[in-house]
Formats: sequence, structure tokens, C-alpha cells
Amino acid sequence: MSMDNLFIKDGYVYRINLLDANDEQLMEISKTMGLALNLQEMKKIKDYFSRKGRNPSDLELEALAQSWSEHCCYKSSKYYLRQYVYNIAKDRIVAREDAGVLEFDNEHYYVVALESHNHPSAIEPYGGAATGIGGILRDVLCMGAQPIALIDPLFFGSLDTRYEELPKGVKHPRYLFKRVVEGIRDYGNRVGIPTVAGQVYFHESYTGNCLVNVGCIGIVKKDKLAHSRVKKPGDVYIYAGGKTGRDGIHGVTFASEELREESEEKSITAVQLGDPITKEPLIHACLECNEKGLVEGMKDMGGGGLSCVCSEIAYEGGYGAEVYLDKVPLRETDMEPWEIWVSESQERMLLVVKEENLEEVLRIFEKWDVEAVPIGKVIEEPFIKVYYKGQLVGELDLLFQIGAVEYAREWKKPEIKEKEDVEFEMPDLQEALMKILSSPNVCSREWVIRQYDFEVRGATVLKPLHGDIGMQSHSDAAVIKPLEESWKGIAVTADINPYYTSLNPYWGTCAAVDEACRNLAATGARVDAFVDCLNFGNPEKPERMGEFVESMKALHDMASVLNIPFASGNVSFYNESMAGSVAPTPTIMAVGIVEDVRKCATINFKEEGNPIYIIGETKKEMGGSEYYQYLGISAGIVPRSDAHLLKESIEKVVRAIENGVIISCHDISNGGLGVALAEMVIAGKGAEVCLYSLPDLRTDFKIFSESNTRWVAEVKKEKEEEFKQIFDGLKIYRIGYVKGDGLIIYDGDEMNKYVDLDKEELYQAWNSKLWEEMG
Amino acid sequence: MQRDEIKVAVLQMEGTNCEYESYLAFKQLGVRPEFIHLKEFEKGKKDVFSYQCIFLPGGFSAGDYVRAGAIFAARLKANLFKQLKKFVEDGYVMAGVCNGFQVLIELGFLPALNGISEEPEACLATNDSNRFECRQTLIKHEKSKCKLTKNIPDGKICLIPSAHMEGKLVFKDEEYAAEVNEKQVVFRYVDINGNLAGYPWNPNGSYANIAGICNNEGNVLGMMPHPERAFHKWQNIGWDGNDGRGIFEGIIKYIEEKW
Repeated sequence: MSMDNLFIKDGYVYRINLLDANDEQLMEISKTMGLALNLQEMKKIKDYFSRKGRNPSDLELEALAQSWSEHCCYKSSKYYLRQYVYNIAKDRIVAREDAGVLEFDNEHYYVVALESHNHPSAIEPYGGAATGIGGILRDVLCMGAQPIALIDPLFFGSLDTRYEELPKGVKHPRYLFKRVVEGIRDYGNRVGIPTVAGQVYFHESYTGNCLVNVGCIGIVKKDKLAHSRVKKPGDVYIYAGGKTGRDGIHGVTFASEELREESEEKSITAVQLGDPITKEPLIHACLECNEKGLVEGMKDMGGGGLSCVCSEIAYEGGYGAEVYLDKVPLRETDMEPWEIWVSESQERMLLVVKEENLEEVLRIFEKWDVEAVPIGKVIEEPFIKVYYKGQLVGELDLLFQIGAVEYAREWKKPEIKEKEDVEFEMPDLQEALMKILSSPNVCSREWVIRQYDFEVRGATVLKPLHGDIGMQSHSDAAVIKPLEESWKGIAVTADINPYYTSLNPYWGTCAAVDEACRNLAATGARVDAFVDCLNFGNPEKPERMGEFVESMKALHDMASVLNIPFASGNVSFYNESMAGSVAPTPTIMAVGIVEDVRKCATINFKEEGNPIYIIGETKKEMGGSEYYQYLGISAGIVPRSDAHLLKESIEKVVRAIENGVIISCHDISNGGLGVALAEMVIAGKGAEVCLYSLPDLRTDFKIFSESNTRWVAEVKKEKEEEFKQIFDGLKIYRIGYVKGDGLIIYDGDEMNKYVDLDKEELYQAWNSKLWEEMG
Repeated sequence: MQRDEIKVAVLQMEGTNCEYESYLAFKQLGVRPEFIHLKEFEKGKKDVFSYQCIFLPGGFSAGDYVRAGAIFAARLKANLFKQLKKFVEDGYVMAGVCNGFQVLIELGFLPALNGISEEPEACLATNDSNRFECRQTLIKHEKSKCKLTKNIPDGKICLIPSAHMEGKLVFKDEEYAAEVNEKQVVFRYVDINGNLAGYPWNPNGSYANIAGICNNEGNVLGMMPHPERAFHKWQNIGWDGNDGRGIFEGIIKYIEEKW
């Protein structure tokens, strides 16, 4: 039988002759149609239709491919997620749907979501990043919540990559970086939600496959929380927002394969086009309908388009649905039914409303000039039935479509690449500090941050850049005050260090959790929830899967001691290209609660004469450190973490900030103490310190060790005793005082001066790198 | 007028996005702000003259894809020009921040050196840096004809954040520029010592460091920096930065005293 005989025209669709196809032909069908389904899955579909006694339509096969994609159903990760992270402190999670929901105060919930938009951004960085923002906003919106902040962790190859080193079909990191930032800027700024936090990391493993993670936080009154599920048969499906076009077809199946040389040509249509100016009123209209109690259920049309949304929202409510595809507003009139069904065009929401509220809902959308039309209804039987101009073009059991696939994939313990530490002579530390300050992963992100409107909505208390105007430095976390009538704040940060995870996935992941908690504590926020975006390579390769499992174990071990839940998350596999897999990148976004935003601590040194302390133990853990990268040494272990110690330490740091004992605080991470002190000086007054009191370590390790669970704190002079009481039982070291306007570091019996730099020198070293690179 | 009788229309269309915090600023000062969608004025569902102030908030009206504020202004011009002209001539207040300022310029309501103009006589051009920039800026209140900032001492330096791509004020010719510069400048970007200074203190390269201007009668005000982002001290921790509050208070005081 030839391939042609496998496709038979039937009215508005093609029937695919699955029942007569052999294994080879099944795979040929999967490939030709771009379904990204494997043989086992194709056979499962064949069995299903054999039982039904008929062949599937193209629309049905496409629908299954969407729902069974890694992206939509987490078939490779669910098993491990359940085992390691879903159960931690789960009683605090109010809902875990498209976004996670937790309590903010007696009357409000906050809503968090974090997603990857990696493959689209690698192919078309501007559109890919912009629609990433669009999608995450809708995930928060469909819980009925007002989005209040955006967070963007980004990962690229080295900016120094030579063009001739780039694998074929791969875009230069500089171009990707520039266009991703522009995409986030143009979408986020226009839609009017502040981009307040994130990170930018350069590491060679991202050269072939950059990572673009996007997070969002929202706030909702408890009685207005919406759910992504239908309530009862007879309710109407309303399609609202932008028209459906051919963009974004096969977005999720494309995200569930490795990137290839020809990916751009083949998959450019898989990237959606964003339109923030449709989105902005869409947000208003959806929230107004929800506020007036007119919404029974709401879901964002993201991955898999109408197909996934219409099915999942019915399935979650325990019913089915009928959809009339010819009612869907189209941008291109000649679209095939299956194209309409799976298109991932942006700026679309599905609302479920009672028949009697239909008119009122449509009126609200009209006021906002947003298109809204009824396209279907909820039915009793658990089927999805799709009609096009009177023809039944698809009918699937929802249990089969949605609940059918899950794998406990084989995995192999990954190779630990840490090596025994080496002996070497201590270099000039002042020069080392200057070089590290200007290194790609330490230097100022001002070039990025200023392009984002980080204070639209007027509620950003702690901005991503802080300190004296004209010479500002990075904040550890951003703090938002979401409610007019309350002093309570939400703090947010995102962290992961791929240099650590590529050496040791387990401890690297622990370090990310540790750093996220430290960042929050440094502002005076108590960690309240984690959200993870797990970016890994191909899960069908056991060693990649092993990295994933190690990382899961680390999340489990840290979070269960801290008793902090994972509110929601996202898994992105297949982040591999011709150049290999990305470093294990479990991005950790942590959300914290600040009791009173007026008490937040900032990083800039403030009052001459105040003592400066290091909180926590400095150890020789140099693996993956900025210092060893500077020296070109690949040895040493990545910093270990003790969750019990972390828990105790963060509570004390927060208490000391709340009591006004610590007035400036900065966590110690990349580049160690030297960089932390420099950043605090850049944003404020100077410091003179002597490291003599630290335990026995060579001076360079004292300055550049990246050991976890450490902070630099400026303590109010009059409250030094109270500080010591609070930290009783923990290691604290007074190293000097706020003084002058430069940074001076001494060490040793003879008080040797190792660093003596004025503020301007520090600032130039730290601030100019990205500006020079990016212009 | 009593404060609680004063009604402020916070005007919005798709893409305006600073309406919420602007609304809150007015509300917290005890007046009665309302969100008004442009369509409600266009269709006559709401009457322009039932308000004492029309406030044009920041954002990216209609995406600013043509030119900042151009589409918003075109819609106002097509449907509401006569009413708004009378509104201003009767002494009522129009104030625009950021994109709202761009709209007032496009509409010819600012600088309006010789009265409201049919064609724009100035332009908020792309920043010298050629990119969107979000940063805290310092602006000095100048002695001017503005009736809406009488409460702010002349020479006072205010910390008000800026965030825009098109904020560089330029005029149709040098003579015109000189005259506006002399009479109608309300705020100028300055450095920490209060002196006119270049980038980044002047974030966009604006002519003579102009950050905000009024019309000849002093009842229309436009400025690029966002006073609603410096309304509370907590919005600019470390600076006690609530200098923006004075701008909203000034508008309200003017209305209270005039009627």
C-alpha cells in the first residue's frame, strides 16, 4: 500500500487508514503529519480506533498528538514529579492548575506560574519570547487573577562565540540575547505588567538551544478565584480574543523534539505571533466578567490550541463538550478544520458561562473592543465532539485523549564531573576581583533591566536596580505591594547556576534552592512557595533522564526540610541541538512574603561606622566558581547545602531585618564575598574590612568562595548586641565597618592590603561589560 | 468646590496601562476618579463636561505602532475635538503623563503657544539612546505659567521615575522652541545638584532638558516622568520619594479654588 492510499478524503477532512497500516507505515504517518508520536503511541491509537471500528480523521490524530506531546501531558516527568515534589506541604496549595494558588492574606490568594518558551525563542527569538510572556499572563489570568509581575530567567551561549564555531542553523547568542530581551520588552511594557526580576546566564551549553523561561505572579480575591474546569452541562463555551490563524501550528510537538539544523525552515510556523494590544483589553474584559461572577470556568488557549483547551476544561469538570469549528473567528479563511483545532494563535481565552449570562458577557467584551463568540457547549457524556459545517469531524473519549500516556523512563546516574582540588599560587587579588566583576555572569544587567518597565502599576517597592541614582546595583529580589490597603508585600527571585549543575546536578540544584531562599531573606521576605521550570535534554536518553531525577531528588530534599511547596511548574525536555544538551537547568523561582514593605532591606551600605558582618561559614568549595573560571581551573566541588541550617538562617536574617537590626543585606553567591561587597559599595557608601576573623583559609578563597547560606549584613551600630542575640548559635563574623566611598580589604597577621578600589573603579569594571557588548 | 465633588476622568483605550495607579492617586486624595473608556465619550454615554479634569495616563495606546500617542490623538480629534477644546478654554484641566503627554502634543493642546493648534507643533521623538529606558529621574520645578503646580515651590527638585522610548521633546522651529522654553516649561531634568546635565540625568536628550510643559493658559499639563510612581514613600525606598503626590495635589487645589 502506498502512502497516498493511507489518506482518504471525507467531506471537510481526510480519514487516515490506520487500521490497514503496518508499523513502518504508522511511523511514516507520524512523521509526515509532524505528530512526534512514537510507534508504541501510534499502535495505541490504532487499537483505539480498531475498537471503534473506524479510521481516525486528520483532526483526531492531530488532537491526540497535541495532548500526548511531552509539552502537554508531561508523560516523561509526571511519574517523578509525583514521587518527589508534588506532596511537599501540599495542604498549603489551594489549587494547582495552569498556575499555582496560595494564600496571601485572609482575603486574597496569590497565583504563580513559570514556563519555558525555549524552542520558539531559539528559532524566532523576538516572537518566541514575546509570546512566552503572553502565555504566562494568560495562565495567571485564567485563575481570575490580576497579573502583577513578570519574571524572566534567560540562558544563552557565550557572547564571545565565534561565528565559525556555531553549529549550522544556530543563531549567534548575541543576536538571540538582543532579540529575546526586545521581545520581552515590547510585549511586557505594552501590556503594562512590570518585569521585575529574572536572570541572564551565559554558558556554552546554551549555544545551540537557548532557554527562555517566563514567570508571572497575580493576585485575586478569594471569592473570585476561577478554575479551569466546567461546572455543568448546557453551559456555553465562549471564544474570546484574537482571531485564529496558521501561526503556532504544531508548537507543542515541535517543543517535544530536539532542535535540528532544518528546524527553522520546518518549524517557523510553529512560532506564534504576539499582540499585546489585543491582550491588554482581553485581560480587562476577562477580569471584569470574573469580578461580576459571570464566569463558570476559564482557560487560556496555549499549547495545543482549542483542541487541548476545549477537551481539558471539560475533562477536569467530569463532563464532555461539543464544539462548532465554523464559529471560530479566523484570520485566514481557508484554514482546514484540523488547523483551526490545533492552531496556537495568541491572545485567546476560553470562557465557560451560563446560558443566561451569555449576553452580559458578550456586552462586556464589546465594551473593550475584544471579539467574543459562543463556539460550543458542555455535554453530559465524557466525549469531545467537533463539528465543522454540520459534519462531525472528530469524536474522542476524553479519558483516552487526556489520561492515556505516562512513562517511568529509564535513567542512569549521571557522571559527577567534580574533580579533586589543585594547588596553585595566589594571584593578584585586586586584579582578579576587577576581572570577575566584569565577567559575563557577574557584571551588571543594567543593559537588560532598563529596557523593561519594572514599575508600571506603581507597586514595585524594591526595584531590580537599587541604590543611588546614576550608580545602582542589583537587588537580591524584587518586592511588590499588591494591595492598596495592606503593607504586605510579595518578593520574587529566580536562580540557577548551570556551572554547578553541569558538574553535579544534585548539589547544583540544592544550591539554586539555597540561593533563592537567601535572596528573598536578604530583602526581609520569608520564602512561601517555589515554582520550578525544569529545562533538560532528551528524556529518552537515560543519562539525561538521570540528571532530571537527581535534580528532582535535590528539590525534594531541600523543600521537604524547608516545608515549602512547589506551587506549580513546568518541564521542558528535548533541549538539545546538534551541539549537545543544555546543562541541567532547573530554574527555581521563589516567592516570599514581606510582612511590611516599609521594612525591606536593600543592598547599599548606608551609615558610616556601622559594623559589617558575614553570616554563615566560608568553605573551600570552588567547583564551578567565578574565581576558578577566571583562573581557568576546572577542579573542586560545587558548594554543598544544608537545608536545616538554611531554614534556621533565613528565619534569623528576616527577623533581624524586621527589627531594624540589619539595615543593608546582600547574599553571597557568584564571585563570592568580593563581588557582594563591591555591589554593596557601588550602590551606597564604602567599606573597610579585614578578613582576619574568618576561619583558616587562604585569602583568595575567603574572598571568592561561593559557599552557600551566607550573607553580608550592615548592622545598625546601636543594635549590634541584639544582632548577636538573634544569631546566637549560628556563625557570624564581624569583618569591618562602613567607611569612605571605596572598598578596602585586608587580611593576615600583618594586615596586608589586598584590595583598594574606589567606587568609580568598581562601578566601571562591573557596569561596562554588557553595554560594550550590546551597545 | 468641595474635594469630594471633584470628578476626574481617567481616560483609557486599548494599550493605556497606567490608569490603575493614576486612579488610586486621585482616589487617595479624596476626589472622585472614574475609569472612562474612550468609547464612552465617543458614543456620548458619558459627558465630558461632567468632569473637572481629564487625565490621560501613560502606556502604549493602540500599541504606539504608528507614532507614540498618534492613534489615541486621532480618535480624540475625530470625535471629541470641539468638546475638548471648549473644555480647556473653559479652564478645566487636562493632564497627560508619558503617553498622555504624547497624546496632548499630537492633539495640538500642547504646547499651544498661540492657542490650540490644528497640527502638532512639537513632537516627543525617540530617545537619543534609541531605546526604551526605565529609570529614576530628578526634575526641577520651574517658575512658569502653570496653574496646576502652584503648590510646588519653584526650584524644588523632585524624584519622579521615567519609563519611555519616545520622550525627547523637539519643536517645529528654534524661535518657537525658545518661546516655549521661556514661558511654558514646568519641569526640567537635572542632576543631583540641581544643574542641567546630560545623559542619564536627561534620559532622552530632550530640548533644554524639558521634562514637562503647560499650555499658555496654564491649565493643560504634560510631562514624561510618572508622578503616580512617586506618590507614596514606599514606592522609592531609600529616597522617601513621594514627590509625585504634589502634582496630583496641585491639580486638585486648582479645581477647588477655581470653582
